[in-house]
Amino acid sequence: MRGGHGAEDSRPVRIVVAEPPAAAGAFEIGTERALRRLGADVEIEIAHDAIECLDRVQGWRPDLVVVDQRLGPDVGKILAELEPKGPPAIVVSREGAADAALESFSDGAADCVSAGPNFADVLPAVALEQIRNWRATRERERLQRKARVLRGTLENLVDAMESGLLVLDAGGRVTHANPAAERILDEPRGSLRGRSIVEWLPDGTPGLPQLARALVEGARVRGAEAVAVRGDGRYVPIGLSLAPLAAPDGQRQGSVAIFQDLSELKQLQRQVLQSEKMASIGQLAAGVAHEINNPMGFVHANLCQMEEYLADLRRLLEGAAVLAERVAGEAPPALCAAAADWRALRDELDAEFLLDDFAKAIRESIEGSERVRHIVQDLRSFAHRDDGEWVMADLNRCLDSTAHIVWTMMKHSVVLRKEYGSLPLLRCLPLQLEQVFMNLLVNAYQAIEQRVGERGGSGEIVLRTELADSELRITVSDDGVGIPPLHADRIFDPFFTTKEVGVGTGLGLSTSFDIVRRHGGAIGASARPGGGTVFEIRLPLEAPPGAALA
Amino acid sequence: MSEQGRAPALLIVDDEPRILSALRRSLRREGWRILATTEPEEALRWLATERIGALLTDHKMRGCSGIELLDAAARVQPGAARFLITGWPDAIPQARLEAIGVRALIPKPWDDAALKALLRGALGS
Repeated sequence: MRGGHGAEDSRPVRIVVAEPPAAAGAFEIGTERALRRLGADVEIEIAHDAIECLDRVQGWRPDLVVVDQRLGPDVGKILAELEPKGPPAIVVSREGAADAALESFSDGAADCVSAGPNFADVLPAVALEQIRNWRATRERERLQRKARVLRGTLENLVDAMESGLLVLDAGGRVTHANPAAERILDEPRGSLRGRSIVEWLPDGTPGLPQLARALVEGARVRGAEAVAVRGDGRYVPIGLSLAPLAAPDGQRQGSVAIFQDLSELKQLQRQVLQSEKMASIGQLAAGVAHEINNPMGFVHANLCQMEEYLADLRRLLEGAAVLAERVAGEAPPALCAAAADWRALRDELDAEFLLDDFAKAIRESIEGSERVRHIVQDLRSFAHRDDGEWVMADLNRCLDSTAHIVWTMMKHSVVLRKEYGSLPLLRCLPLQLEQVFMNLLVNAYQAIEQRVGERGGSGEIVLRTELADSELRITVSDDGVGIPPLHADRIFDPFFTTKEVGVGTGLGLSTSFDIVRRHGGAIGASARPGGGTVFEIRLPLEAPPGAALA
Repeated sequence: MSEQGRAPALLIVDDEPRILSALRRSLRREGWRILATTEPEEALRWLATERIGALLTDHKMRGCSGIELLDAAARVQPGAARFLITGWPDAIPQARLEAIGVRALIPKPWDDAALKALLRGALGS
């Protein structure tokens, strides 16, 4: 065997010869001798019956089986047992036994050679052809198997990718989509094939014309940001790269598009923006608090002083009254008249009422200044919300202090009912949770305002807390306008708002959602029977292990 | 009048004159000699020339912060008890207060009774 290629070909040629034993007195055909002419690297094993022959085929894996016709019924057995994909078999027949030869073809023999004058030349030639064919077939099969494995590996790889991958033809139509692509675009399995990539990019997408041109021209696009329309109609921000795809002959075949879902990244960016905004509001609040505290300092002190002064004045007046009584009747007439005048003036001015009401006015003003002090304190703690630390906190207190801030703006139209259960301390970010409560309370208030504006009346907000099943449940329910069912599944989306321009950023609930999730909890909204909305927050007592690191 | 003949004074510094008059009203009956000024510089002069039993100062003032004034007082008259009264108590780190030996941080608006009690501890009644 010369001129062969590959590991398979360089192997010595192995042939099993099945023939009756020479000792049995059979005529010597010279099969082995003829086959030896194939070359030095030919190995031959002799078998004397079907069992022996098939045993050799199984264990030794020959390239060819040569079967002697004279083995009789064993010839048929051997041919029948050789696998369709096994080595080819050549039947050697006596000279002139053409019928038997024909029969062996139908039994599955690859060729047939009869012992004749040219036997020693014909057999090696036929054997060589069979061996070459057999080896070529096996090599082809081996390559096909390898190609299948490679292809499978490649497909697994593409399927396992987190990025969406679309293979596009020259017209920008999808010929292959990986599961991530289907997931990001929210399209059912296999439904992307044949559709144009431009279908998912809405009109007005920045850079859409350039993208379309790149598709046609086979140009590269790296990390372009775009917005895709998902199957469910939602928008998803994506980062898109496009590269031309060449066929093995170098011809352009189309493009490959790789894209990532940027929703989380975008949301993080928004949160950073939002927290920066909150921080600057906080700074402002702290500054305002300081400015208010200075005048409140002397107003409060003066009021307290006035209360003391008033007590002194009251004593002074009481002394004067005693004096006026004593003077009556005993003193000279001029003094008595003066005392009578004084009493008349006292009665005319209703001095008793004056003193009482003066005291009341001061007391009420002191209460007012106390209230301002409280508001400023709340503003100050709001200002320090960015000092987020995991601490053990009483959520009833967090909820109450937040409600106190919001209360001042809503007390004219809203009744606030508190149904606090007894709660254990929770390891949490209290300032962040206060922000969540603030968002829910402001939403509730605005929902009530809207309803009151449309239909009149007043509203009620109920704050309820309880411990159930190892989790804290906090509900904020209002009897406001409620959430239309159409919007119910979008309210936690960033930038989704039904409020008028300038009223809401659309970030409140989305931020709340993230904060609650950081605590390993959940937040949901449902319709309140009789109108309005109930928001429920559930926070597990045992936060997930990652919560502290989140 | 000689220095020794006088009782140690209470020095009050705040750039808001209405705070000074409110404090004077509150403390009038305590019988202390009160030196009050809106100018930290004047306070520094008094610290150099008068016997001061207690210093009560605002923090955010033009030209000189209360902390700086208290720091100077600690060097000039270490015996004077030092108090800071401010509308923004959380703006000052606790460590800073401890470092210069501030006896108490009094938030504005203040509680008269508590303030008097603190000052009595420093000046005697």
